[in-house]
Amino acid sequence: MSWFKRNSRLHHEPFCGRSVLCRDVAVSLFCMTVATLLASGFFLLSHNTANVAILYVLATVLIAQNTEGYIPGMMASVISVILINMVFTYPYMALNFTRDGYPLTFLGMLLISSLTSTLTTHLKDQTRVLKEREHMLMEAEKEKMRANLLRAISHDLRTPLTGILGAASSYLEQGSQMTDSDRADLVEAIADEAQWLLHMVENLLSVTRINDRTAGVTTSLEPLEEVVSSALQRLHKRIPDSKVQVRIPDDLIMVPMDATLIEQVLINLLENAVYHSGSATPILLTVSADSRLVWFRIRDYGRGIDPDSLDTLFDGYTSTQNRSSDSHKGMGIGLSICRTIINAHHGQISVANHPDGAEFTFTLPLGEHIYESEIDRSDH
Amino acid sequence: MNQKLTAVIIEDEKHICRFIETVLSAENYRTFTSASAADGLSIITSQCPDIILLDLGLPDMDGLEVIRRVRQFGDTPVIVISARTQEDEKVAALDAGADDYVTKPFGTSELMARIRTALRHHRSTDSADPVYSCGKLVIDFEKRLITLEGQEVHLTQIEYKLVSLLARQAGKVLTYDYLMRQIWGPYSDDNNQILRVNMAHIRRKLEKNPAEPEYIFTEIGVGYRMREE
Repeated sequence: MSWFKRNSRLHHEPFCGRSVLCRDVAVSLFCMTVATLLASGFFLLSHNTANVAILYVLATVLIAQNTEGYIPGMMASVISVILINMVFTYPYMALNFTRDGYPLTFLGMLLISSLTSTLTTHLKDQTRVLKEREHMLMEAEKEKMRANLLRAISHDLRTPLTGILGAASSYLEQGSQMTDSDRADLVEAIADEAQWLLHMVENLLSVTRINDRTAGVTTSLEPLEEVVSSALQRLHKRIPDSKVQVRIPDDLIMVPMDATLIEQVLINLLENAVYHSGSATPILLTVSADSRLVWFRIRDYGRGIDPDSLDTLFDGYTSTQNRSSDSHKGMGIGLSICRTIINAHHGQISVANHPDGAEFTFTLPLGEHIYESEIDRSDH
Repeated sequence: MNQKLTAVIIEDEKHICRFIETVLSAENYRTFTSASAADGLSIITSQCPDIILLDLGLPDMDGLEVIRRVRQFGDTPVIVISARTQEDEKVAALDAGADDYVTKPFGTSELMARIRTALRHHRSTDSADPVYSCGKLVIDFEKRLITLEGQEVHLTQIEYKLVSLLARQAGKVLTYDYLMRQIWGPYSDDNNQILRVNMAHIRRKLEKNPAEPEYIFTEIGVGYRMREE
């Protein structure tokens, strides 16, 4: 990828050569004109040629610094020497290189300009190389992350697929010798695994809603209760016997968010609680708000989370490594997607154990929050 | 009525097409399938089906265009089959004249429920049923009276209009845009905050727990749907 980019830029260079030339000429002309004008002023006021020379040296340095290559700087120094000779030294308006020490001035100017050009060209080269290296490093890092993600995904996808294929092939090959209940079991297993796959794919799809470059989302003000109720509805559809107890504020609170994504986060966390807690006690979903933030708390009353994996829980890869035997029940990349979504909303997500189980908390900033009362006033 | 109902399925995924066909045949429908919009449209014109199931992602024509063409020659109910990520597309399809949508993947019961709702709304004209009744909620459209568990519920003018609009088309999703235009007129603001706030008020008057509504459901990014039966 980066190779291609660099290559294509090389191809572009001849096309922009003309504009670079124009720019260099313009810069040179500008610097020389300004220097000549200033020098004339000084000369008319004080008749001191020392200042004149310094002004031209300065102009030459500036030209060398702001143009490509050595030629403009050299030209500028030659022109400077000629101008000084012609305009500012006796005899005026005529070239006379026979004065004492003049070759030295000429050489000095030439040397200064070529040195500056060399230095700046070198510096520019170095910055470019540095930038390129940085870019390549970033690309490599991205590549690594992408590879990691792909590995995690393919692992998580392959597990249920293996189950589906296995069940389907045994049904096809030995279905006729099985009892009805065995056959039903197989089909149920297929449905289960497919459900899990769907869940995975939905999670992955939701990530595509997040802007690649800015890692941000398009938000709109959504009533809190609508997102919560929609998430619960979908959860009950997927896991009919899941029990959730909900507490939300009585006020109407509008929260800026991408509702589809926050719904996904809620479903992920609730499903996670249902599958992992290993407890039939209803999950408690509490939403509260202060003037700046909305807090979502999902509390289960199960076996809690292994203290060792608390820190890395949202990284997404741990569960597939540690519990590969149990990866169907592992959250896989679901939690890491939760974190991506919440980060994109400028919120925070965390997890902690409490005496009776685990609790996930995430926050969303309210922005210019609008409570019911404020809208009421503008309505009537 | 012993005559079979006719359904046209326009869907380019072979397996999904077959699945829907199986379900509908089992429910005693006569089915025609087509993998392309052009074929589908010609089947529709020749068969005059009772219901059309339409996938939005067809190879030869935009699904929205199909809906528009179907609407040009009749009001046959159209149910759109869409993938989950495309809310805008769902809304566009509904606003173009589709009656409802199901999201892939969908179950048999969900599909049949949507079809039955669409067929019922198609058969009965608007004012057919003077009373909406569901659970403990009763709406008498003639008396403009809403009762919940026998107690009268007081709604503002706009709130009543919203609820009755949803109740008259219960089971069908109504988009934000449609509701805005119906209540606040064709030149209403693009911003639907006022609708959302009014819905929140209604929820507080009709639902025990606004987070677990029993009567009016939210379809995120699309609109609202009132419970049927």
